[in-house]
Parts: sequence; C-alpha cells; structure tokens
Amino acid sequence: MDTFLYLTRRILQALAVILIVTVVVFCLLHALPGGPARGILGPQATAEQIAAFNHEQRLDQALPVQYVHYLGTLLHGDLGTSYTLNESVSTLIEQRLPKTLVLTVLSAFVGLLLAIPLGMWQAVRRNKPADYVITTLGFVAYATPVYFLGLILVLVFTQLLPWFPSQAPQGETLGQVLSQPNALVLPVVAGAASMVAVFSRYMRAATLENLSEDYVRTARAGGSRQGAILRRHVFRNSLTPVVAMLGYYVPVLFGGALVVEQLFNYPGMGLLFWSAAQSSDYPVLLGCVLVISVATVVGTLLADIAQRLVDPRVKAGRA
Amino acid sequence: MSAALRTTTPPTEAVAGHRLPLRRFARNRLAVAGLAVVVLFLLFCFVGPLLHSTDQTHTDLTQVNLAPNGSHWLGTDAVGHDELGRLMYGGKVSLLVGLAAGILATVIGTLWGAIAGYAGGWIDAVMMRVVDAGIAIPALFILLVVSAITTPDTLGLIVILGLVSWLVPSRLIRAETLTLKNRDYVLTLRAIGGTHGRAIARHILPNSVSTIVVAATFQVADAILLVAYVSYLGLGVQPPSTDWGGMLSAGLTAAYSGRWWLIVPPGLAIILVVCAFNAIGDGLRDAFDIKGRG
Amino acid sequence: MNILEIENLDVTFTTETGDVPAVREASLYVRPGETLALVGESGSGKSTVALAALGLLSGNARATGRVEIGGVDVVGANEADLSRLRGRTASMVFQEPATALDPLTRIGAQIAEVIRNHRPLSAKEAASEAVTLLRRVGIPDPEQRASAFPFQLSGGQRQRVVIAMAIANSPGLLIADEPTTALDVTVQAEILDLLRALAADSGTGVLLVTHNMGVVADFADRVAVMLQGEIVETGPVEEVLLRPSHEYTRRLLSAVPRLTVAEPGDVPAAAPEVPTDAAVVELRDISVHFGRGRRTVRALQDVSLTVAPGETVGLVGESGSGKSTAARVALGLVPPTSGSVALFGTDLGRARGRARRALLAGVGVVLQDPVASLDARMSVGECVAEPLRVHRRGMPAAERRARVAEVLERVRLPRELAGRGPRELSGGQRQRVSLARALVLEPRLLVADEPTSALDVSVQQTVLEVITELQDELGFACLFVSHDLAVVQQFAQRVVVMHAGQIEEQGPTETTLLHPGTDYTRRLIAAVPVPDPVLQRRRRAERRAALAVGGTGATA
Repeated sequence: MDTFLYLTRRILQALAVILIVTVVVFCLLHALPGGPARGILGPQATAEQIAAFNHEQRLDQALPVQYVHYLGTLLHGDLGTSYTLNESVSTLIEQRLPKTLVLTVLSAFVGLLLAIPLGMWQAVRRNKPADYVITTLGFVAYATPVYFLGLILVLVFTQLLPWFPSQAPQGETLGQVLSQPNALVLPVVAGAASMVAVFSRYMRAATLENLSEDYVRTARAGGSRQGAILRRHVFRNSLTPVVAMLGYYVPVLFGGALVVEQLFNYPGMGLLFWSAAQSSDYPVLLGCVLVISVATVVGTLLADIAQRLVDPRVKAGRA
Repeated sequence: MSAALRTTTPPTEAVAGHRLPLRRFARNRLAVAGLAVVVLFLLFCFVGPLLHSTDQTHTDLTQVNLAPNGSHWLGTDAVGHDELGRLMYGGKVSLLVGLAAGILATVIGTLWGAIAGYAGGWIDAVMMRVVDAGIAIPALFILLVVSAITTPDTLGLIVILGLVSWLVPSRLIRAETLTLKNRDYVLTLRAIGGTHGRAIARHILPNSVSTIVVAATFQVADAILLVAYVSYLGLGVQPPSTDWGGMLSAGLTAAYSGRWWLIVPPGLAIILVVCAFNAIGDGLRDAFDIKGRG
Repeated sequence: MNILEIENLDVTFTTETGDVPAVREASLYVRPGETLALVGESGSGKSTVALAALGLLSGNARATGRVEIGGVDVVGANEADLSRLRGRTASMVFQEPATALDPLTRIGAQIAEVIRNHRPLSAKEAASEAVTLLRRVGIPDPEQRASAFPFQLSGGQRQRVVIAMAIANSPGLLIADEPTTALDVTVQAEILDLLRALAADSGTGVLLVTHNMGVVADFADRVAVMLQGEIVETGPVEEVLLRPSHEYTRRLLSAVPRLTVAEPGDVPAAAPEVPTDAAVVELRDISVHFGRGRRTVRALQDVSLTVAPGETVGLVGESGSGKSTAARVALGLVPPTSGSVALFGTDLGRARGRARRALLAGVGVVLQDPVASLDARMSVGECVAEPLRVHRRGMPAAERRARVAEVLERVRLPRELAGRGPRELSGGQRQRVSLARALVLEPRLLVADEPTSALDVSVQQTVLEVITELQDELGFACLFVSHDLAVVQQFAQRVVVMHAGQIEEQGPTETTLLHPGTDYTRRLIAAVPVPDPVLQRRRRAERRAALAVGGTGATA
C-alpha cells in the first residue's frame, strides 16, 4: 500500500513536471519570429497560407485555449511535420531516439563503472599523491569542452594511432549501429569523460563520509578489517547518495550526446536536432526538446524507483 | 531523543578559531593554485593588452596563418590577427560573461531556493516542480533552440546563460534554508514573536553565505564552460569580437591542417580557468565544511 | 592476571589548532569478573581511555604507556594483531545505538560477521548462532528478527544487538562507553540488567564508562574518577560514592540531583491547594497529529494542563511522550490539530499580527542544545538583545546595551562577555546567555525544554540555581520540560507525567513523585538509579520483584 502511494505521488509529480515543460515549449513556439504559423509552415509560406493556418489552428483565440488545443495534439502523438525533411516529427524521433539512448546508456554505464571504484579508491587514499593526481585529472576532464575532447580523441586515436574509426557507426536501424562496436568506443568515451569526473567525486565524498560513521567503528570493534568493512558496509551505503544524483545527471548526458553525435556524425536524435537548428526547422526542434525532456523526467523517475528498491529504508517510507 | 547530547568523542579543535576557514583554504594546495591561476588570467586578459597591444579589429592579410615566431609569439589566425593578443581579447569576454552569468544564476537561484525553502508547503512543491522541469530540459538543447531564433548581444547572452543555470543553486540554497529554518535560534525567535522577515534577513541569509559563495564559485566555473560551448552552437559574439570558445570552435578545422597554435592556447585557457574555479570552489567548500554540490 | 591493565597512559591529539592532551598518566586495572566504572564529565578523557584500550583512537591521536588486555600489549600492536583481539578477547559497546549498526545490512548478518571474524564457522552455523545470541540478549522472536534491518528496531533493541555482537565470542573484557546514555530511563534499567546478567554468567570483566553516578551505583564494583585527563580517585564503589576522599569527587557527587524516594511507611502529605488565579498558560484538550491516513503520528492526545503565575510546572516523560511537542504548542510553534491554547488568558490560536506578537513578548524560551540555541554569527550581546529589537524597537542603543549588561550579570556572567562570540563560550555559559536572552524582556513565562540535559552535572547545578534565583526575583512562571525526574523533583512545584502523547498523571511534585498514582509513573521512578549503592541495590530488588509480578518482559 505504501509503495502504491509513493509511486502514485512520484508519477503525479513527474506529470506535473512534464506539463510545465509543455508550457515552456508552448511559450517558445509563440516566441518564434513571425509567430508559430511561420514557424510551422516555414519561411516560404504565403500570406493566405498563414491566414488559413491561423484560423484552422485557432491562433486567433486566447492563449490558454490554444494551449489546451496544443496539449490535445500532443496527446495524439502529433508533433508536427519537419519542413526540411518533409516527414512527421514523431516518425523521425522514433527512428533516432533509440540510437541516442544506446549512446547515452553506454556512456552512463561506462562512466559509472569507472567512477565508482575510482571514487572509493581515492577516499581510501585521501590526500595522498594518488588522490591529488586523480582529482586534478578529474577537474581537467570536467573542464574540457566535449567538442575539444572529441577532437583530441580523434586526433590521437584515429590519426596518430589508427585504432578506431573517426566516424560513429552509420545506419538506419539499431542493429546496424550495434554491429560496429569499435566505432562506438570514441563517442562513448567522449560522452563518459565528464561523468567519470563528476561521479568519482561524489563517490569519494560519500565514501569519506561513510568511513567516519559509527557503524564502521562498531565493525572494527568486532574485529573486521578495513578491506572487509569497505566491501561489506561502506560500499553499499556510499552508493545510495550517488545513485540519487544519477537522476539529475541524465539531462547533462543528453546534452553531451548532442555534441558527441554532431562530432562523430552519429545518426541519433542529437544530430537530428543539430541539423534542425542549422536550418531553423522549428517543429523538429521543439519536438525534440519535448521528447528529450520527457525522457529525462522518466529517467529520473526510474532512478528514484531503483533507489527505492535498493534501499530498504526508503522502501519503508523513511530514509 | 530525550537523552544527553553529550559528546564523548575526541576533540578535533584545540581552539575554535574564526580564521579557521582561511587557514584550511590556505593549506589546500590545489585551491591555492587555482586562485593563483585565476589571478594570473585576470591580469593577462585585462592588463596584458596594455603591455602587448595588438590590433584585433582590422585584418592584415599579409600576416595570415603564421606559426609562432619572434614577432607573433602564438602565431596568427586566418585573417592575420595576432593570436596572443586575441587570446587576451577573447579572454576578457569569456571571463566577464562567465563571471556575470555565474553570479546572475546564483542570485536568481538563491532567491528562488530561499523562498521555496522558507515558505514550505505547496508553494515549495510548485516552485520545485518548476525547477525540476527546468533541469529536465538540457541546457545545450535550449541554447541551440535560442540560437535558431536569434543572436543575442553580450548582455542578452549573460541573461540567457543565467536563466539556463540558476536551477542547480536553487536546490542547494533551498536545502540550506530548510536546515537553517529549523535551527534552535530561529525557532526561539519565532516563539517570542519575531517576524519571518527578521528570521530570513538576520539569521538564515547570513548563515547561508558560505553555501552561497561556494555555489557561486561553481556556477562561474560552469558558466565559463558554457560560454565555451556557445560559439560552437552558433550563439556566439560576432566577429571581430571573439571569446575563447569562439577561437576554439573556429580553429577546429585548422587542427587537421596542423595549425595547432589556433586551438591549443584557447583550449588550454578554458581548461585551466574552469579547473581553477572548480578547485577554488572545492577548497572553499572544505574550508567552510559544507557537504555536497547538489 | 588482570583482564585489563593500563599503566601511565598518555594520549595526545594533534589538531588543526595545536596539540590537545586528552589523557595524562592514567593507570587502572580490571580483574576478571569485576566491573570498573570510569566516571567523569565531558572532556575528562574517559572515552579516550576506553577507545585506547582497543586501539580504536582516531588517526590524529598519539598514545604512550602500557595497555594490556589479557596480557597482550595494545599500544604497540599493529592493526592485524588488534583485529584479532577485538571482538574476541575484548569487545566494545558504544553510546549511540541509532548509528552503531550498518543501516543496509540485516542484524543477523552483522552478528554473524563478528562470529566469523574469529571462528571458522560456516555461514549457516554463524547465522543460527546469531539467533541464539539474539535470544540471549532478550530480543523477542529472534528467528524472525534476525532478518530485520536496524531501522526496524527501537533504540533499546538496537543496543541489545550491539551487545549481542560484543558477547558473540565470549570475550574476557567488555568495554561499555556510555551504553545507556542515549536511552530512556526504563530502557536503561533493562539494558543494565542485561549487561549485569551477562557479565555474571560468563565471568566477564567490564570497563563501564559513564557520567551518571546512579548507573555507577547500580552496576559497578569499583570506581575510578577522571578529571581533565587524570584519574583522581579509585576505590570500591561504596567507598567512593558514600565516603569520597578527593575534593572533585565530593563536588561531583554533591552536584548530582538526587531523586528522593519514599521510605516504606511514608504517608502522603495532604495535597496543597491548587492556585485559582488566571493561568499563565492553558492547554485545553490539545491533540496534535502529524501526517495523514495510516501513517498518522499522534504526538498528543487530549492533553490539558495549566501553569499558574509564578509556579514551576515540570513536564516529564520519556522520548516520544510528547512533552516537547506540548511545550511547542504552548509556544505557538506547533499548531494543534484540535483544542485550544491560551497565553495570559488570550487564545493564541486566534491571535494575529501585532496582538499575537504582543502576547509572545511575555514569553521567554530556552532550548536544549547550547550550540544551536545561539546564532554564532552574532555576538553574545546581539543575541541577548534580539528580543529587545523585536519588541522595543524604539529603544536607544545605549539603553539596550545597559539592559543587556544588566541581565548578563543577573545570570552570573561578566558584562564583558557581551562583546564575545558564542563560539568562545562553554556549554554552561551558552545556556546562561540563552537564559539571559529569555529574560531580557522580563517575561511572565519561561518555557525551558531540557535546558540542562546537554550539560555536565556540575554546570547543570549552576544553571538551575540561576533559574531558581531569578524566578524568586522576577516572579515568572516556568514550564520546565525534562526527562530527568531528580531535577524536576528539586525544581518544580507541580509535575505532569506524560506517556505516549497523553498525560499519565499530574499533581504536586511532592505527592506525585513520592507516591505515584499510576503504574507507569511507579515504573518510571523505580527505573531511575540513585547514586547510593546500598539504596540502589534495594531499589533494584524491589523493581525486579515488581516487574516479575507485573509481567513486563524486555520489550524495548
């Protein structure tokens, strides 16, 4: 019963957030130069086309009414039509989104796989040279703009040492994309670098905090050694706050994907978005923003639920 | 818990010092190095041009694409500008916009977070849902959309960057406000009839200063980094004006033709300055003994 | 051979601001099967000695001297040797059960870990032994409970689990560092009973670190008294507690508030008249509920109490009794779900704005935590002057300063303190500053929520004396919340006993605490240990007898 109430509350919260996002996108739509009509129909639209469009779309009515109408179209899955590519936006996104998800999930996975042990190791060696070195490397990784990092990776690993191809896997379907794993390496590394820096720092901080907790002292008093304490007790307790932060990092991952896809010519949603921005293809732009934001909210919700499953205290309603 | 708060843990301070944060900061080598780097760059960008004045507005097509040499220590770019001078020139914009946007983001975030945290209840819930929505939309996506609509001037850029970044500090300040509002001295004030205004102005804000300063430092670091993306995304300042991000993205194609002097200096500059601000923020946070970055 | 021998132990801590000597040339011993109590106030170094005995001091500590457990040297030992010792030859029970256990591991597993650290048992064998241990420490339904997480247990139960971990490998020495300080007094009695029984059963020597003289009288065979890192007196418990030789011990014992208990044959005195003047505070049928639906917490249920002008009412109870909530309702900090609160005859719930502020100007507040009660960013003078700034805005600065200086002297603090910061003051000084702030407007009511619970006994005495003195002078009423019955008995004219959000009984302190009307109050009083070993032994026997008849098993 408790879980049900909790889930309901979280889902309602998520829906409220999504609603606010639609409001933001709606406002952007109306902030476009020339109004939404021109934005949807394109710069070549004639005056009559615009007038007809306006009337049909009830753009002569009050904004709140328009918003409700807009929500209606959204719920029908209609995100408009791209005027550069002449396809429905939803179809385009449907094609591209899975590939972006593959990239982001892989980046996140690799990032965490590296960051968590690294952070713990740093905590144990606090303030020793190794700690300083990794901290500094972390700062550098965080401070390097992704496109610069990507450039360096390409220069070093495709030209200097021809280990990897300089283009990400091409192809329409997911299968095609996944069939060239070594072309995915550089994009994933570029996307994961910043995440490793941030999450190793979180893990370090969480581990340090847990090392000074009372239960560590109790375990030591019972004869447990440092290694065992770290493995059996500190690790899991430190993981909880880090997993909590994961939800908030999802939008950053998507933002990174945007640059990485453009850099490596990866046929995902980021690249779609990029090209749409170059050609001012507003329906695609706004559709992507909406979908990505919803994906983020869902991602955060899933991360929350995952945390709940892992931490028995949260499960019982107190943490 | 009805029982004593008696601590029987060993002492960690022989003397409770007011200068303790300063001393802790000074002992953090990375943080001090960061501070030095920031000061150096500020001098470089603002005092440098007085010592090494170059023409950054007119092109000189006789001096195009020269590698570093005696009269142009960092070479020249595709229209003949001296690269070293350009680095100083661009740095001014990067640093100014970054600082301004970072501080703006912190100010907005502080106000939003403090009000939400102090008010509590449904006001807090609504305000935080707005923050959640803002966080859900990746900043780079919004910036790219904005770039498709318009090209802002410097002030507009500062405002846009600030509007995109205030969300994270708001959560931090809200958490801080929640903690402080339940401190005994605030409760006592309320119990004897003190007003909300007094509680906020006299107790909550002054005790949040260290959190706000740390948040601001990290925000400036993030803003400078964001500025570096801005030109890449097409929102950048117009030529002949430039900033480090602009130099970097403009020079990307040059990298393949071996003209390293066009990308290494601005790239290094960005990395060093952002690292430096992060190190300072880290050092401040340890010195003030605050937890978490949000 | 003594199970624990310490000779000339010196411990110094290296901190950011210099070296702090915590223990100086301490020497003591514990024989097998006996209990040595190590007493002292905060900063005496007693916990440091306990931690040093197991080599558990933090990294910035330097220990020299001889410490031997069962003949094995501890000071020079490396971590590997020490971990072989800990949990086997000697083990430790700590003060705070809420944080002593790993929140994400089941308690059975945590006990099994200690077992398998020292004995080659399989996981299954260790698990079943864990269950046996849980039964031994009095956890009901141990097979089920073994798979519980710490947060599902109460404080007392968690402490039992920690004890189970400590005795898992039948150690020769058990070190207990304030094992019951964080527990309610009834739970404390049960845990002490348990420890005593376990020690007697297995002939374990016990080093009991505590500040509570009553606990010492209840449990220890011998006592060592520590002051500022040095042991100033050692001896059998009856000697030290009844015929102390050292000056400090005498001072310490005289500062301990003693609960006067009824001698058999006492006759309850006639109840004095309850004053009928307009009450200063009146709570009528107050109920406070937090949360909704199934998870509603009923903090208070139909609570009614009054405080008459000039009188002190003690509000006592254990944790969760609702006493603090009741105080906060009286202060207007917690809005009641139902019922009414009246301050000085006016309904507080309906008062708004200026009228409400005017009412609250007649109230002074002192809360428990000396650190959190003063804003460290303000000087002492500014802290004390705050009520003046809130209610007497027109007062000129010079007059304000004079008023602050005057009230500081009233609480026996030098007026120069006004320029200092709270960080420079001790706990007792801070509470007196808090008191000065509470009284600067000469209120008609002082609400004090555990004002001395976080202070050492000797300091506590000063603060209480000051309150009593000022009450005589200024004539304010006082609502005094405390869990310490002895303090309330000394201090309050009427007492209200609370339990689980309701009032158990209330009446004049004399009669209520000496001849309690309800079972709960009787049990509460019986559980409070007094610092007289002879008397305490008798009371313990009576309490056990009463429990056996009443059939209240170990539940907490």
